[in-house]
Amino acid sequence: MQDRADDDASDEDEEPLRRARAGDRTAYSALVRRHQRAVHRHLLRMVGVPDDALELTQEVFVRAWQALPQWEPSAKFRTWLFRIASNAALDLLRRRKTVEFVPLDDAAGDACAHPDAGPERRAQAAQELRRLEAALARLSPEHREILLLREIEDLSYDELAGALSLTVGTVKSRLARARAALIEESKD
Amino acid sequence: MTKRLDDEPCPRLEALSALTDDALPLAARASLETHVAGCAVCAPVLAELAQLRNRFAALPRDAATRDIDVAAAVDRRIGALASSPPPVAPRRPAARRRPWWQLALLAPGGVASVALGLWLGGAAPLPATMATSSPAGAGIAAQMAAFSSLPPGSLCPAGLACGGAPR
Repeated sequence: MQDRADDDASDEDEEPLRRARAGDRTAYSALVRRHQRAVHRHLLRMVGVPDDALELTQEVFVRAWQALPQWEPSAKFRTWLFRIASNAALDLLRRRKTVEFVPLDDAAGDACAHPDAGPERRAQAAQELRRLEAALARLSPEHREILLLREIEDLSYDELAGALSLTVGTVKSRLARARAALIEESKD
Repeated sequence: MTKRLDDEPCPRLEALSALTDDALPLAARASLETHVAGCAVCAPVLAELAQLRNRFAALPRDAATRDIDVAAAVDRRIGALASSPPPVAPRRPAARRRPWWQLALLAPGGVASVALGLWLGGAAPLPATMATSSPAGAGIAAQMAAFSSLPPGSLCPAGLACGGAPR
């Protein structure tokens, strides 16, 4: 799974991070390449517009570079990037006021249905995913954010607390409310 | 009326949500699982939460992010930051201090202004009798009428209230 690969990469961040903090831009580019897909994936589902997500992805890595001297080695670099990304996404959404969302790729149903499934089952799977994406887009940004970080990026409760500047208790209750809200939205 | 998931008491929903994340301590987990097995309310809620997790697991992860590479663009922007001078907050020009002799020349003017203000202020409130009984007072009253709240030529509905004599 991609997320596990990202987790495994966290130990590999140590050396390039040390060099990047000393001003080595080549080392920083390696870090960008390692984490850009996760950051972009999160931002794409948060802000819904591909061009905005791409621009924000660049912005997140520029901001991270500028803030590298303040980065605490005790925090995971990936979690810290999500913290910057979440703030950037919420800023954009506050300015924009309305939320658009990206329609799911037509091939998505094929990707998630069982390989032996017939065309009818595949179409049904694609429709379920579209409904999930649409329900996600209708959630409040705070609920969408915590669900995406937990379910797609696989952050633990401690990592969510770090990325969203919350206590673990608040993470637990916000996640529960976000799930309940999403289930209700999916029924509509 | 249908019951919503979040109508349930929050601690139960939170615990069930944490159970689907495998984030409960062993003892709490065992206790909740025993409860759910015999609870007609919690069992379907847990099933819905588990189903939601499965639906998320089926979401494509990298469909739209497969080909992106922002490393070069980020490096260019970082390079531009490095080559441009650091932003400097605009400085306000320092207030120019006047030499002491200029202040000494300005001081009498200030004193005279304050004295004139006090003298005019003392003369302003006119007694009603003075305003109508002496020619000088009538002249001043006519000048001050420009500041009255009543438009020129209007009839005052309450003469007494205006300070005039009763008719």
